[in-house]
Formats: sequence, C-alpha cells, structure tokens
Amino acid sequence: MSAVEARSLTKHYRRRGAVKVAVDDVSLTAAEGEVLGILGPNGAGKTTTVEMIAGVRRPDHGTVRVVGLDPFADRAAVRRVLGVQLQAGYLHGALTVRELARLYRTFYRDGRDPDVLIERLGLAEQREVRYEKLSGGQQQRVAIVLALVGDPRVVILDELTTGLDPQARRQVWAVVESLRDGGATVLLVSHQMEEVERLCDRVVLLDAGRVVAHDTPAGLVAGAGLDQRVLFQVTEPLPAALLEAVPGVDRVEERDGRVVVTGSGDLLQEVSTALVRAGVVATGTRLERATLDDAFLALAGRPLGDDTSVRTTTEEAA
Amino acid sequence: MTTTAATTTSSSPARPRPTGGPGVRAWGALVAAEARMVVRDTAGLVMPFGMPVLILVMYGISEATEIVLPGSGGRTAFDVFVVPVVLAIVVGIVGVVNMPSFLATYRRTGVLKRLSVTPASPAMVLVAQVVVSAVQTALGVAIALVVATAAFGASAPASPEVALGVLALAAAAMYAVGMLVAAVAPSPNAALALGLVAFFAFGATGGMFGDVSNLPEPVARVGEMMPFGAAVQALGDAWAGQPVAAAHLAALGTAVVVCSLLAARLFRWT
Repeated sequence: MSAVEARSLTKHYRRRGAVKVAVDDVSLTAAEGEVLGILGPNGAGKTTTVEMIAGVRRPDHGTVRVVGLDPFADRAAVRRVLGVQLQAGYLHGALTVRELARLYRTFYRDGRDPDVLIERLGLAEQREVRYEKLSGGQQQRVAIVLALVGDPRVVILDELTTGLDPQARRQVWAVVESLRDGGATVLLVSHQMEEVERLCDRVVLLDAGRVVAHDTPAGLVAGAGLDQRVLFQVTEPLPAALLEAVPGVDRVEERDGRVVVTGSGDLLQEVSTALVRAGVVATGTRLERATLDDAFLALAGRPLGDDTSVRTTTEEAA
Repeated sequence: MTTTAATTTSSSPARPRPTGGPGVRAWGALVAAEARMVVRDTAGLVMPFGMPVLILVMYGISEATEIVLPGSGGRTAFDVFVVPVVLAIVVGIVGVVNMPSFLATYRRTGVLKRLSVTPASPAMVLVAQVVVSAVQTALGVAIALVVATAAFGASAPASPEVALGVLALAAAAMYAVGMLVAAVAPSPNAALALGLVAFFAFGATGGMFGDVSNLPEPVARVGEMMPFGAAVQALGDAWAGQPVAAAHLAALGTAVVVCSLLAARLFRWT
C-alpha cells in the first residue's frame, strides 16, 4: 500500500459563469518514506491537489487514500497521522511561538517536543514572540513546527521555503531530510528547482491542472530528451571531423577557439578521450547538463517561472 | 492517556492509533488559548468592563439613587432600571460584538481551516470562545455589581436566584445572536459592524439610552421582546421582587433557539 494514493482527482471552479478546471484527472502515489515533489508554475493546480489530499477540499471526481484511509470518510483517523502546512494559513495572532506549538501538541496523543522543533527550525530566539509580530519567513517556519508537532507519518508541505532567507531555507531542508530519514512520507509542493532536486525522490510535474510527468528528477531530465553540452577552449583549430565521429556526439560548433559539443550518453568521457588521442590541448572543459527547469520547458513548452492561468472551458456543468 | 500503539514500527502500513478525539488536555489548552487571545486584545476589554462602570457612575451621581420605587422593598430607580441595563450591556457587548469578531477573524485568516486539518475540530474553538465569553461576562457583571453596591449603595436583587437565571438566559440569547452574526458576516469588519448595529439596535429599543416610553409604541413593544429589552425587563422584575413576565422569558428563549439553529445552518468554516 502506498502512503498516499490519489486517483483521477478533478476539481472545477465556477467563476463569472465560466467553468474553470483547476485540477484535471490528476493521479499520483507516494510510497512510504518517500519525498514526492509536486512541481509546476503558478496556477498549475498544485495547492488544490494537495488540499484535496489533505481533505480540505472535496474533489469533484476521484479518490484519495492516505495510509489507506479516506480523508473525508475516515477524517479523525487521517488527522492523527497527517501533518499539514498550508499555504497562507494564519494562526492565533496574539499567541507566542511556544504557546502555539504547545497548543497544537495537545491535539495529538503522540508527538514531538515543541521546544526541540522550535529550535531545529531556528526559532529559539522568537520562542516568546507573538505570532503576529513575526516576519513572514518566521511565520512560515512556525507553520512547519505545527505540521510536525504531532509526529505525522505523512506530511504535506506547501511552498515551505517561499520567503525564507538562504540560511533558514537550509534549516528547513535539513528538517525535511530528517523526516525522510525517520521514515515519514512527504508531499512537497514547490516551484523551486533547487529544492526539488535536492529533496525529492520523485517528482510530479503539473501544468494547467494536468500531470505532465511523474518520475525521478534525473528521469525527468532524461525523459525530456535533453542533450548535454561539453564546452572547452582550444588554442589551435580542431582537426577536421575529429569529434563528429565520436559516439554520442550530435553537433560540434567552433568559434574563436571556443568549442561546444552537443550530444548524449557519456559525452564528457568520449570527447575527452578523443581529444587526448588526437593530441589536442583543451582548457576550461566543463559539462552542462539539462536541469529540471530545462526539462519543464521541454515537457510543458514554456518556462516554469511563467504565470499561467488555469484553463477555461465554457461548459455549463461543473 | 494511553499510547498503546506508539511502539508499532513504521513499516506496518496502517499503524493503529488510539481512537477517539482530542482529550481533556486539548480542551483545556484551547480554552487557555482563547483566554489569552481575549486578554491580549486590550481594546476589546474596554467596552465590556469600562462602559458599564461609566454608566453606573453617570447615573450613580444623579437622583436615580434617591427615587425609591413603591412595591420593590425600598429599592431605588438605580437598582431596578440602571443596574439591569448595565448587566445587559455586559452580556450584549461580550456576546454580540466581541465574540463574533474573534470568530470572523479566525475564519478570514484561516485559523479555523488550519484547525480543521488537526485532530481538533474548528468547532472546539467556538466552544472555547463561548466558555471564555462566559467567564468574561461573569467578570464584567461582578465588576459592575461591586461598583454599584460599593460606590452607590445599590441593593441586591429581591429574588437573587431569579436574577441569576435570567442573566444566564440573557447571556445565552446574546451568544446565540453573536453566533448568528459570526455565521453570516463575510469579513471581520462586517462582523464588527453587524455586531455593533445589532447591539445598538437592541439597546436603543430596549432602554439602554433611557426610558423607552418616548419611543413610538410599536417600536417599544418590539424592542421589549428583543434580547436586550427582554433582559432589562426581566432583570428589573427580579430586582424589584416582582414576578418575571413569561413573555420576556419566552422572548429570550426564542432568541436562543432561533439564532442557534440559524447559526448552525449558516456557519461557514472557510
């Protein structure tokens, strides 16, 4: 059994007479102990998808199982094992960080020490500060504390490092890594590539409410059919057709001593060997691989950073 | 509290956890949290604690403390008219103005939604707010009564148990109205505005600003059956030792039932 299993989730919104499809037939699974990234541009349906999995929004179609339980029918049981950090959630403003953490700890039978969690998220100095007086990034980290204080087996983190400075971001990443090491399953909503490449075992790529790809980060890059590039400099022109014959090489461009070799496979090794054999002196050799950003561009046909609105249909039924 | 399944390894998929909702500890923590929210909202304390005292002082230095009413066991106009109005103000402000503005804020800012993804239900917050409001009401009433008796020689009600019962019923009616306000107000601002309008409408037609006999007859009759007017009339009777009119008790009871049912039906959590 998967820790999280969503099948054919669909959610429509009706706005000004038009029916908008926020999430369109999305299926995904996360195995126990896995960190599953949910990645996509704004408006791709990421938050709506995880809110349906969390039992906050009821899907129009489709089913959700969290550790085998239905978040709506088995609400109480799911609440005990699922920790949720919602985007743009707010808390009792006049309570301090510690008061909030202790309050939420009382909701669970088993759980983690609130003070330890506060410390691990770098909020020790803000322990006695009221929530309403915290910066956005600090409030964000309080939300993570509360999501984890019940020691959940499944955690949903929606845009967990948005608005955090680099140091706080690394603290949060370390916490997610320790969650994974502890055997928890994590659904990580993000539009940050670095975060996803570092933390996620697998990634679901969403675009305009649909799943574009569901694979490991490396698999996504490979599956997008993107080439690698080897770049280097030479002091003398390359012997004619030297590299064109090397296995995996698709294209060679040379201009003013700068060479760019495009291809696939074990490109760097093959090119280096060929150059050494021919006695060519190459300097500043480096390999450029496609990133998840490039993969998204290739799979969805536009850059990840683009704001895209949800697809609009004019059907009357919602 | 037992944690029978805490030692089960995470490799078993559906680790059975103890069933049942959050325990006494969670309820206690939530009530404490709401109490902190209310106490730290200093501005919200001015009205239920300050305004009644101000009104007591204004009337206390008038001749109201000297006019003895016949058939009330020697009680004055201050005892039978002013003190009931002041107590109705306390229950009204706490129930109709303060409580709904907290709840509407919790809904707007996502506090209720956040709680809905924990084992605690957002309904627990509503209950905790009512508990804290009841304590706040009791405190406000106590302060008002101490000031009235110590500073202006007010007499205790001729029928203390009746007065207490009426006060409890009036508080329930005001909280029910407050829940309805919280249920229908689309924003915290709207909740505050709606609560204030309801409070002043009830108050104006119920004797908060003095004798209602100057009002047009139908307005005064309606006001008398609204929670504020009914509370003032019934409390006045209890103070004077007169039998409380069944119509006033029925009016308060109706407000409790109708407003609670409507609130339960209309309340939105997000």
